[in-house]
Amino acid sequence: MKRRDFVERLSRVAAAVVLGPGVHRSARPTSLAGQLLIPMDDAQGNHLKAYGVAYRVVQAGQTVEWLINYRGGSFLLNDGDAVRREAALAGVQFTPVGPENVSAIRGEIEGTNADSVTLEKAPKVAVYVPPNALPWDDAVTMALQYAGIPFQKVWDHEVLGGGLAGCDWLHLHHEDFTGQYSKFYLIYGGEPWLAEMVRMNTQAAHQLGFATVPDLKKAVARGIREFVRNGGFLFAMCTATETIDLALAAEHVDIAAAFADGTPVDPNADEKLDWSQTFAFTGGHIEPNPQIASFSDIDGHQVNNPGRRQPLGAFKLFNFSAKIDPVPTMLVQNHRQIIPDFYGLTSSFLRTRLKPSVIVLADEEGAPWVKYIHGDLGNGTWTFFGGHDPEDPQHQIGDPPTDLSLHPHSPGYRLILNNVLFPAAKKRELKT
Amino acid sequence: MLSIALWLVPFSGARAQVIGEGFELERSGQGEKAAELYFATLRADPTNLPALLGLERVLPLLNRLPEMLPYAQRAVAADSTRTDLQALLLRLYLILNEPDSARAMARRWTQARPGDEAPYREWAIALEDVAAYDAAREVLLDGRQALRRPAAFAIELGELYIRIGQWVPAAKEWGLAVTALPAQIPNAAAQLSEAPQETRGKITDALASGSASLESRRVAAELLLEWGDPARAWEIFAPTAASHTPENAYALHRFADLAAAPGTPAAWQVRGQALVRFAEIVPVQLAIRARSDAARAFLEAGDAASARAQLEYVAADSTAPSDAQDLAQATLIGALIKQGQLDSAALRLAHVAHDLPDSTRSALRFELARARIRQGQLALAESALANDSSVAALALYSRIALYQGDLARARSLIRQAGPYTGDRHEATERAALLALIARIPDARAPELGSALLELAQGDSSGAVKALKSAADHLPPEAGGAEALLFAGRVAAQLGDKSRTPAASLFEEAMKRGGQGSAPPAAELAWAELLIRQGKNPEAIQHLEHLILTYPGSAVVPEARRQLELAKGAIPKS
Repeated sequence: MKRRDFVERLSRVAAAVVLGPGVHRSARPTSLAGQLLIPMDDAQGNHLKAYGVAYRVVQAGQTVEWLINYRGGSFLLNDGDAVRREAALAGVQFTPVGPENVSAIRGEIEGTNADSVTLEKAPKVAVYVPPNALPWDDAVTMALQYAGIPFQKVWDHEVLGGGLAGCDWLHLHHEDFTGQYSKFYLIYGGEPWLAEMVRMNTQAAHQLGFATVPDLKKAVARGIREFVRNGGFLFAMCTATETIDLALAAEHVDIAAAFADGTPVDPNADEKLDWSQTFAFTGGHIEPNPQIASFSDIDGHQVNNPGRRQPLGAFKLFNFSAKIDPVPTMLVQNHRQIIPDFYGLTSSFLRTRLKPSVIVLADEEGAPWVKYIHGDLGNGTWTFFGGHDPEDPQHQIGDPPTDLSLHPHSPGYRLILNNVLFPAAKKRELKT
Repeated sequence: MLSIALWLVPFSGARAQVIGEGFELERSGQGEKAAELYFATLRADPTNLPALLGLERVLPLLNRLPEMLPYAQRAVAADSTRTDLQALLLRLYLILNEPDSARAMARRWTQARPGDEAPYREWAIALEDVAAYDAAREVLLDGRQALRRPAAFAIELGELYIRIGQWVPAAKEWGLAVTALPAQIPNAAAQLSEAPQETRGKITDALASGSASLESRRVAAELLLEWGDPARAWEIFAPTAASHTPENAYALHRFADLAAAPGTPAAWQVRGQALVRFAEIVPVQLAIRARSDAARAFLEAGDAASARAQLEYVAADSTAPSDAQDLAQATLIGALIKQGQLDSAALRLAHVAHDLPDSTRSALRFELARARIRQGQLALAESALANDSSVAALALYSRIALYQGDLARARSLIRQAGPYTGDRHEATERAALLALIARIPDARAPELGSALLELAQGDSSGAVKALKSAADHLPPEAGGAEALLFAGRVAAQLGDKSRTPAASLFEEAMKRGGQGSAPPAAELAWAELLIRQGKNPEAIQHLEHLILTYPGSAVVPEARRQLELAKGAIPKS
């Protein structure tokens, strides 16, 4: 469901919203057959699978209540054999609750910083990856795969060919939208996987009528921005966060090293970047040295920049008002508030490079960087999460993939899945 | 003189500081400022190599490389004797696509330095840097002819040919290189080892042809070891190390070390042969150690006769130090056990036991006891342990009791041995056996003991049949289902060779197991078997059934993990 649809429906219930926070709850499940509470605090046996259960209930045409800030962001749904079976198979803990228990829960929600959000339509999920990508090198595809949430793969041809029109939610992971192959070219030159990456991208650029890969990726970045402007939900991690903004700011500037497009970086690139075109960042300086696998000074940790690399700490999720700011509240639902940090080619975002409109969802206290940010663009929203894999903090190329069955309570992966579910929410007016 | 030195020191320090500053500017992405700093340095000091190299790094990024040319020319004019400056200018001409200038300069350089390899080498390297490989080869071959040294530039040519995928010419050049410089043998072998499969035969032919030098043949031998043909490697290598010289001793030891890496019987065999030859050359103290090592290699290769010959040689040598003697005796007893000559091994062990260190003596007794068990000689196995009361011995006693059908004693001994005795495999196996017999209330079960002994003796197929028969004689809720499950696991490992299909045993264990722990464990084992057979949809049905039917079973977490694997929701590890 696109954000535009939310807004349309929002207008229909606007009067109700004005009347008070409880009115929107008319869409709650009304089954008298009893309900199931899926707790999302430490009582839960498999947090990640719980999202999949909730998603599939919504996908099957039923509604689910997401009890934000109640026991770690629990789910309340209609009881039934099918959902019990699925939860049992997945190891998801649930508790049958009768009308009296539900009333007690609602009373607690009413009296605390919690709320109930109705999930009513499963978003159609797309992941931007090359056609030959395996699911195991991308935290989001791993999370989707593990939780059993279906998704389709899209790449440059689909983005530029209108293939995003039917999608509600798009994920970008470690794509380098500056077209420099993550600057691995000089470090991993000769590696077969890199040669294949170069071949595929070059071929795509030629097929789609672009002279160079950087030109192609800039066009793709603009296509993704249009998707958001038209009401799509964008979630990006790792390199994609920083490089999509660099590609958008550099529409008319050469920021790619000679190995990528045959010409050196424009020596005055910094001055020519147009930050009004970007999602989140402003005022960044690009890294012109092709030998350093860093793109700009937006990233706080600079993992591949030996002189500027920063150690990992822990990031803290912000508390939001559930009844006033339900969207940021949904995005930070967790059973842990402080989470160990993890590296990626882009691990974090310097505070000084954020646009004023950006909502910070998590930061490292006392550090000059933030970890997790959110914002609106046109009719859509975007969320950026720094780092590569929440359960593999020092991820290196060639490392074995993360086995999520060994991390069923991963708080970092929960943040990813919050993003997948939140577009399913029935929209109310946002105060933020 | 002193005043000059004092003046130079601060100047040199300042110059280094300036260059360091330029490097920092480069790292922080301020290429323009770095370039200006380097230009300024060169205006004061035209031959400053770090500044020139800094410009060579930074100017291409700024698209200003041509600006460097006058500075490089000025540097060479200021000091035409320096190879580094000449090489830099040559490189620059080629990068700036001025091949005529490069050629003219290189020719002047070669004429100015007759007999010197450096100009040709630097010219060729500069050409390689711009991917002009054919031209680079021509330069090196011209240089070889001009210098009248047949092996000149052999290393450079060897590397160049590899770079362009011409492996046989590369091998010929490396053959020349190692003949002139034997220390290059490891380098040559490392460089050529990456050759594609289809070229390997021609490479070794080129290196070991009739006229090839001894060093060239050794490269061929090392490559053959690396490529998995140790017998042929030894065939080529052995004639090169026939005479008793220190060089040959070193070469033999290196060959033996390399032969230890593949870990195949054929490689162990040639390692043993090389060590024996080594032992014939070196002084006696070294020779004894080498013969002991050779014996171990022969044992790994399965050549017990050769091993014994070496060990008897050591054992009979009265001049050998006592630790070498002990080692030889222990290895010899181990060899006898491996050959199945258990009585001889027991006799020899009894004879030398008091001389051996405690740990060696115990290890040999355990080895002998295990071998006795494999031969079904349970009483002799027990006596081999010689009343040892260690936990490791208790674990072995428990096996003996189990195979004798004395379940009560076996249970007690397994518990006494504890969960950590032996390696992980042994400990796991012991836990599985305890799980099997724990539910059987009887003190004795000779049929089950015999079935398990068959398994220990390696007759898995017979063991499956015997276990099934033993299970039929046990009440389902008192060990019968567990015995079926155990039989099913053995049958599953046998695969198609099992006359009784594992699936039918698992199914029967599920049906007969009642409320015990065997049914869910049997269903899990069945599902795992189906996954291995690629029948994931069927496995998924079983796993879902298991999880939903036995939610309290201890195997449910593992069943969920297998379910994820079967559905492809997590990566295969």
